[in-house]
Amino acid sequence: MKIDFVGKCLLLDCGSERTLAIGDLHLGYEGAMRRSGVMIPVKLFEKSIVDFDKIISETGELDNIVILGDLKHEFGSILPDEWKYIIKFIEYVKSKCKKLIVIEGNHDVILFPLLKKMNIEGVDFFVWKNVVFTHGDKEYNEMNSKKIDYWVLGHGHPAINLYDGNKKEKYKCFLYGNYKDKEVIVVPSFFPLIEGTDAREFDMKFAWDFNLKKFRSFVVSDDLKVLDFGELGKIRTD
Amino acid sequence: MVESKIEFIGARSSADVKGIMHPIVKEWFFAKFKDFSLTQLYGVANIHERKNILISAPTGGTKTLTAFLSILNYLVSLAAENELEDKIYAVYVSPLRALTNDIYVNLERPLTEIKELAESKGIKLQDIRVGLRTGDTTPSERAKMTRKVPHIFVTTPESLAIVLTAPKFSENLRALEFIVVDEVHALANKRGVFLSLMLERLEHFSAIPPVRIGLSATIAPIEEIAKFLVGAGRECLVAQVPLVKDIDIGLISPGVDLLTMDGAEDQKRLYHILDELIGQHKTTLIFTNTRNATERIIHYLDMHFPGKYTGNIGAHHSSMSRSQRFMIEERLRKGELKVVVSSTSLELGIDIGSIDLVVLLRSPKSVSRALQRIGRAGHQLHSNPKGRFVVTDRDDLVECAVLMKHMKEKIIDRVDIPMNALDVLAQHIYGMAISQIWNIDDVLKLIRKSYCYSNLSKEDFMSIISYLSGDYDLEHRNVYAKIWYDKETKQLGKKGKLARLIYLTNIGTIPEEGFVSVVVGSGDAKGNIVGSIDESFLERLKKGDVFVLGGVKYQFIHSKGMKAYVIANVSKSPTIPSWFSEQLPLSFDVASAIAKFRGFVKERVKNSLECVKFIQDYCYCTSETAGQIYRYCLEQEDFSVMPTDKKVIVELFKQDKDYMLFHSMYGRRVNDALSRAYAFIAAQLKHRDIEVGVNDNGFFIAGDALDTSKILKGLTSSNLRKIVEEAVEKTDVLKRRFRHCAARSLMILRNYKGRSKSVGKQQVHSHFLYSAVNEISRDFPIMREARREVLNDLMDISNAESILKKIERKEINFEVVRTPLVSPFGLNLITQSHSDFIKVEDRVNFLKRMHELQMKVIEKR
Repeated sequence: MKIDFVGKCLLLDCGSERTLAIGDLHLGYEGAMRRSGVMIPVKLFEKSIVDFDKIISETGELDNIVILGDLKHEFGSILPDEWKYIIKFIEYVKSKCKKLIVIEGNHDVILFPLLKKMNIEGVDFFVWKNVVFTHGDKEYNEMNSKKIDYWVLGHGHPAINLYDGNKKEKYKCFLYGNYKDKEVIVVPSFFPLIEGTDAREFDMKFAWDFNLKKFRSFVVSDDLKVLDFGELGKIRTD
Repeated sequence: MVESKIEFIGARSSADVKGIMHPIVKEWFFAKFKDFSLTQLYGVANIHERKNILISAPTGGTKTLTAFLSILNYLVSLAAENELEDKIYAVYVSPLRALTNDIYVNLERPLTEIKELAESKGIKLQDIRVGLRTGDTTPSERAKMTRKVPHIFVTTPESLAIVLTAPKFSENLRALEFIVVDEVHALANKRGVFLSLMLERLEHFSAIPPVRIGLSATIAPIEEIAKFLVGAGRECLVAQVPLVKDIDIGLISPGVDLLTMDGAEDQKRLYHILDELIGQHKTTLIFTNTRNATERIIHYLDMHFPGKYTGNIGAHHSSMSRSQRFMIEERLRKGELKVVVSSTSLELGIDIGSIDLVVLLRSPKSVSRALQRIGRAGHQLHSNPKGRFVVTDRDDLVECAVLMKHMKEKIIDRVDIPMNALDVLAQHIYGMAISQIWNIDDVLKLIRKSYCYSNLSKEDFMSIISYLSGDYDLEHRNVYAKIWYDKETKQLGKKGKLARLIYLTNIGTIPEEGFVSVVVGSGDAKGNIVGSIDESFLERLKKGDVFVLGGVKYQFIHSKGMKAYVIANVSKSPTIPSWFSEQLPLSFDVASAIAKFRGFVKERVKNSLECVKFIQDYCYCTSETAGQIYRYCLEQEDFSVMPTDKKVIVELFKQDKDYMLFHSMYGRRVNDALSRAYAFIAAQLKHRDIEVGVNDNGFFIAGDALDTSKILKGLTSSNLRKIVEEAVEKTDVLKRRFRHCAARSLMILRNYKGRSKSVGKQQVHSHFLYSAVNEISRDFPIMREARREVLNDLMDISNAESILKKIERKEINFEVVRTPLVSPFGLNLITQSHSDFIKVEDRVNFLKRMHELQMKVIEKR
């Protein structure tokens, strides 16, 4: 299995098939903000499409795309208008692959019937070759099967604060490490604008007790390049 | 920009003033007062003649009544003829909310008395009504006002804005004749900017241009304040009332030498001095600058004099509840208290009864503030205020001595009024759009009448129109736009049915501040909340800073939302004192005066007798005080070099790291900008872990193997702004200010659809907004405003720039000196954080030890 980082997405290549994993999207976030009286002057749908296009231009057409959950922002209702954008986004992603899989994460009473109508699979987890894809807040028995070598997760929104002694900057990052006999890859959120959470500072609330400080961090730079920063716990914090 | 015409005037004769008064009012007045006060001689007749006027008088006294006397006189003469209409004749606006008492004294009581007097003579007067409207006014009181229109309307800037958008009630302002602005000196900030636009809107709304009357304590530059009051292109009289002939001010220093005394003795001496002063006076008011110190003084007075200060002492500071503060004020007025200790909260407003001494414990940091504070004593007519500085260290000593000189010589430090604030502008344009449809050129014309926007560029103006009309919003439906703007017809108006509701529940300029929980971020105690700090203190914290909370040291790691994460059990010394954010910055003018004074002393330092005499004359102080100042300066000159107004000394010394200590006597706001710029340059030169310390007298940067000449050369007057902008990008300071600006410009609605957002929630939202705005453009107007606020209001970038220019022109020189350790003038800067320890002795001992080391160095030479 060949593992590649393409910007904030993960590309897996088993030789005959290629699968792209996309982290948490939280579509509809700015609508929820606006409805609580915060005027957001950016439309995230379009921003998400621009970001997605950049990644597709690197990878070309794919066999599978897996959205690792939290497709839609959790709290608050979504206006019919915003649903249109969500559907538009999903359709666009679908047009770039043979099969689109959406990890359910939160069971949404509107979203999932809708996906069904669009003929898109909504699942708790997705097994492909020796890889299992799931959101990360719950464990499923199938994940522990001997045949599985890799877990690909979302949920944690991993990011890293880099500090040069004077200035601090935050970047999205992948976390890659071991848990029991599995290799675990945590994919950063796809959500634009907010980088995410530094695992050294906050608990990511995974269903497992990962030793994230021992995980290797791969930091996503703004030009889609991904840089190996080594063990998370060894990166200086002060 | 159209210039305003400012004219300074003198007092009118008593006969002049009498001549304009209605017989009833005259009789009432002279039954109560012997004669007109000086302030009244300056003001009353000019107001009667409908001239704009700014009245500046050092102490409270009769200012408010001066403004009202003409107005009452006018209204009474109308009422006697039965010509009083149902409209608002005069608006009185004050930044203080607790107006009730003043209004009673200055308006309602006179009105009742005049009416009774008239009735006793068989003259029938129409009722003259006074209406009070603040944020605290109940709906039923408001409804009453709608039915019976007040003739004099008393309010705050914010409530005035609300009233002006009220369709029915605002009609009463269509023929407004007077507008009184009280406490003008407290308005050199965004609230003042808000009011200044408010006045223009009011003027535009009213068919009659109302006479503007400003009341202020001593303030400078007075011409600018007058222009601020009347707006661009209008005339204003300025009355500087010389009420106080001689200020009774003195300086007391607890030690023969502030350093050589033992810590405990020193403290004891300080409290004995306070006790003595209190004993000699009827009621004493002590100002301490910080809330913490307020409580401490009360505690220690009681400790040193058991039983003597029980029941007759009170604290008054901004962390206390309103009712607690009100209780203290009441007891003061009743004369029940012997002594009140306040941080800054008793500086303004309300009459607080007969105080005969004000003690200024530590420097009040500006001449106008010092005058304002001692003006609280001798509030009664014709009595001179009395104040005493009590100093606590040698920098404080020099500072207070120079302040004293300026108070005596009435050299007032200048304030800055924020210009072209885009967030306040957005709020007002929204407010304007709510009332009517406007032609855009008229809007700009009205706005430019305000002093604070007199040179507003068309581009800046249009950027706010774009923001409000949703141009930055990529959504085609523009559902969230606040106004519509039609380029064809050049018209603009409000959008949405909720516009007025949103406006009146979200206006204002005072940022909501919250408390930040301090949480242990690692180790055994992980997750424990150990206390809370103000948001403004968080603003000062950098990663790695050590501070003291409840007597325990913590190291700051990072903040998220309303939580600050720290490491407990740190051995490092504190790097930032917990009162630092409360500390008022020293005014630039006073700082420059201290630098100049140092220059004079340096010229004479070789001749001790002459020099002490000079200091004594220059600062109007005792020979003992002059001697202390002289010794301090001599030590500095012997050990290192005395910095002056012409020479900035940069000291290099090694402790745990390399230190570059700049003796830049420009006040903290300038030093804040300079230190961030130099630290940023050092970091660019690949120096890691640059530590920065700032106070009013200078700043230092510290790090490993500093390349001093490269660092010094790296900063110029032309790259300063860019470097500071870059250095503050993504800092908590900028983010917090952005949140305030976003709330002021209604990007984040604190109250929306019946729900109000906690500060924490606003913070989370603004974090997201901040990223979103940066995504669109660095030049998004509200982002630019946040940057302007940090650089110009929090820091003082323009004076920092002009200093660098002077350095480039060689009017000021850097002199780099190598010293074995920090010099005497730099000691407080290096050790300021130590003052947080509960044991004062620690700091005193530390200072003593350092001082001994310094003396050894001097002896060797």
